[in-house]
Amino acid sequence: MTTRQSATRRAVLKAVTAASALVAAPSFLRQASAANPIKIGIPTVITGGYALLGSQVMRTCKLVKKMTDAKGGVIGQPIEFVYQDTQGDPATCVRKCHELVERDNCRILTGVIVSSEAAAMLPKLEEWNAIFISHGNGDGRLTAELLVPRFFRANTSAPMGARALALYLKDAPEKKFIAIASDAAWGRSSNAAFEEQIKKVGKDLVDKIYAPVANKDYSPYITKILQSGAQGCYVALQGDEARAFYSQATQYGLAQRVQFFTEIVAQADIKVLGRDAIGLMGSSRYPLTYDVPQNTAFREAFMSEYKNEIPDWSDGEMYQAMMILFAAIEKAGSPEPMKIVAAMEDLDVTSVKGPVLMRKCDHQGENQGFVVKVAKNDKYAEPIGEIVKIYPRELNTPDCRSASYSK
Amino acid sequence: MDFLGFILAQCLSALSQAAILFFIACGLTLIFGIMRIVNFAHGAIFMLGAYVGVTTVAVTGSFLLSLFVAPIVVGAVGMAFERLFLRRLYGRRDGGAYLLLTFGLAVVLSELIRVIWGAQPLSAGIPDFLRGIVVILGQPFPLYRLFLIVLGIAAAIAVWQFLERTRAGLLIRAVSQNAEMVHALGTDIDLVRTGVFGFGCAMAALGGVLAAPLVTAFLGMGTTVVIDAFVIVIIGGMGSFLGSLIGSTLVAFVQVLGAYYFQDLALALMYFLMLTVLVIRPGGLLGKEE
Repeated sequence: MTTRQSATRRAVLKAVTAASALVAAPSFLRQASAANPIKIGIPTVITGGYALLGSQVMRTCKLVKKMTDAKGGVIGQPIEFVYQDTQGDPATCVRKCHELVERDNCRILTGVIVSSEAAAMLPKLEEWNAIFISHGNGDGRLTAELLVPRFFRANTSAPMGARALALYLKDAPEKKFIAIASDAAWGRSSNAAFEEQIKKVGKDLVDKIYAPVANKDYSPYITKILQSGAQGCYVALQGDEARAFYSQATQYGLAQRVQFFTEIVAQADIKVLGRDAIGLMGSSRYPLTYDVPQNTAFREAFMSEYKNEIPDWSDGEMYQAMMILFAAIEKAGSPEPMKIVAAMEDLDVTSVKGPVLMRKCDHQGENQGFVVKVAKNDKYAEPIGEIVKIYPRELNTPDCRSASYSK
Repeated sequence: MDFLGFILAQCLSALSQAAILFFIACGLTLIFGIMRIVNFAHGAIFMLGAYVGVTTVAVTGSFLLSLFVAPIVVGAVGMAFERLFLRRLYGRRDGGAYLLLTFGLAVVLSELIRVIWGAQPLSAGIPDFLRGIVVILGQPFPLYRLFLIVLGIAAAIAVWQFLERTRAGLLIRAVSQNAEMVHALGTDIDLVRTGVFGFGCAMAALGGVLAAPLVTAFLGMGTTVVIDAFVIVIIGGMGSFLGSLIGSTLVAFVQVLGAYYFQDLALALMYFLMLTVLVIRPGGLLGKEE
C-alpha cells in the first residue's frame, strides 16, 4: 500500500513536471530562438589568386551585420557570418562547406567566388540540408542544366552581362569584334553568350581567344587582336587576368586602335589602372551611381564605414544577395532552409540595383542590365563607371533554365 | 614586310618574357647548384620584390631606384632566412626538410604581404621615359618590353662574367662541385652559401619589380611564375646557369608562339618541351645526370 502511494506521488510529480515543461516550453524556446543567431556560412577565397574578391565579400558581410543588427536583426534574430577559406579550389570548397554545415550548423551558404566551386557544391546541398544563394557566380549553366532546387542566383550572370552589352552594341558604330576570355567556366559561358548575342544584332565576331587561367603574358593575344582588324574587343577576364591584360594592352597602345567592352567593369581594376581605364565600356553588375534610395543608403554606409573606399561590383552584388535572403526569411518567418526556398520563389525585391524578381522557374534573379563607361567624376577620388544605358530586367534575363535568349 | 614585322614582334615579345623568367630561374638554379636546395619560396620572394619595388616607387617616385632597393631588401631577407633557419639543416641528409622549410617560408611571406599591403592589388606604372611604343616593320612594340630585353641581356652577361671571371665566381663554382674540398682549403663555405642564397633572392626580386608593370603587384603573382621557373631549371639542367638562360628563352618562345598558333595547347606545350628534353637528356640540356 505504502509502495503504491509512493508510486502515485512519483507519478503525480512526473505529470506535474511534464505539464510545467509543456506550458513553459514555448516561452523558453522563443527566448532561445531570439538569442540564437541566424548562421550564414561564407565559403569564400581568403588566400590565393581571388583573395581580393573574397575580401570584398567579407567586408560587405561585416557591414551587413552591423546594419542589420542595428535594426534588430532578421525576424528578431541577430545574424552571424562564419567564414571559411576555399582558396578558389572546388574540392576545398566542398570540404569547407561540409565543415560549415556539420560543425558550425550553417544551413545557408553564400559568398562563393569561383563558378566551378559553385558547380561542385550544387549536388551536395540536398545531403547537407542547406541552401546556397549565389552573389556573383556567373556561369550560365548554374541556373540551366546544373540547377538544383536549393540553389538561387541573385546576381547578374555572365550571359546577362553579355546580353546588356550586345543590346547596346546593336546601335554602336563598331561592326567587327574580337573576344578574349579566360579559359574557365565563367569566361567560356560569357564568350558563348556574347557570340550568340552579337550575331543576333547583326555584327561580326571575327575571332575568339581563350587565355589560360592565371595567364601572365598577353602579348601574343594583343598581337592577334591587332592583326584581326576588329574595331571592338569583348573582354571576359577578371581580377588579376583583367589587370594584366589592360596594363599590357595600354603599353601596346591597343586602346587607341580598338574599343574595349568588358563583361564586368570592376572598380578594383579601375583603381589599379587609373587613367588608363578611362574610356573602358562594359556591363556593370553593380552600377555605383544608380539613383534609388536603397543604393544611396548602401553606398553612403559603405563609404562611411570604409573611409571613402568605393564599393565594387562584388560588394554591391553581395549586399543585394543578403537583402533578398533577409526578405525571404522575413516572408517565411523562419531561417529553415526549405521554408526559405518556398519564400524566395517569385520573390520581388527592390534592391541596390532596382527591382529584382527571383523567378520560380529556374531560381535566377531577373536583374536590370547596366552599361557603363569609365570616366572621371569629381565626387570620387578615382574614375568610376558612369551609367550610359539601362535595360529592363525582362529583356536582360535569359529564357527559363537556359543561358540563351529567344526574344 | 607585314609578316616579317609580325614575326619580329612575336620574337621580341618572347625575349621580353624570357628576361622576366630568366631573373627568377637564374636564382633558383644557382641556389640548387650550390646548396642542393629546391627553394619553394622563390615565387613568394619574387612577389615580395614586386611589392617592395612598387612601394619604393610610391615613396620616392623613382622606378630606377626601385630596381636597386627591392633586390637589396629582399636579398637581405633571403640571407637572414638562410642564416637563421636553413643553416640548421645542413647536417641533415633528407631533402624533405628543406622542402618543408622553404614551403613554410612561402606561406609566411605570402601572409605577411597580405597583412602589410592588404589584399588589394597595387598599381605599378612605368616611368614616362619607358612609356610609348616603337613601330618595328609596321608592328607596334612597347618601349618597356625593349627595356626588359636589354636589361635581361645585360644581367645575363654580368652574372656569367661574374661566375666565370671573378674569384668569388670561381669559389661558387668550386663549392657547387665539391664543397668539402673547398672547405678543407680554408674557404668559409657558409659565407658562400649565405651569399648565393641572398643573390638568388635578389635576382627573383628584380624579376618581380620588372614584372609588376606588366601584371600589377598582387597576391599570388609568384605562384604560376615559380612553376615556369622550375620547368626552366629542369629543362636547362639543375644548377646550370647557362642552362637557365637557354631554358628561359625556350620556354618563353614556346609560351608566346604556342599561345598564338596553338591556343588550346598553349599550356601543355611547355610541359611537352620539358618531357622531350628529359627523354633525350635526363639531366637537362646542360645539367649532369645524377
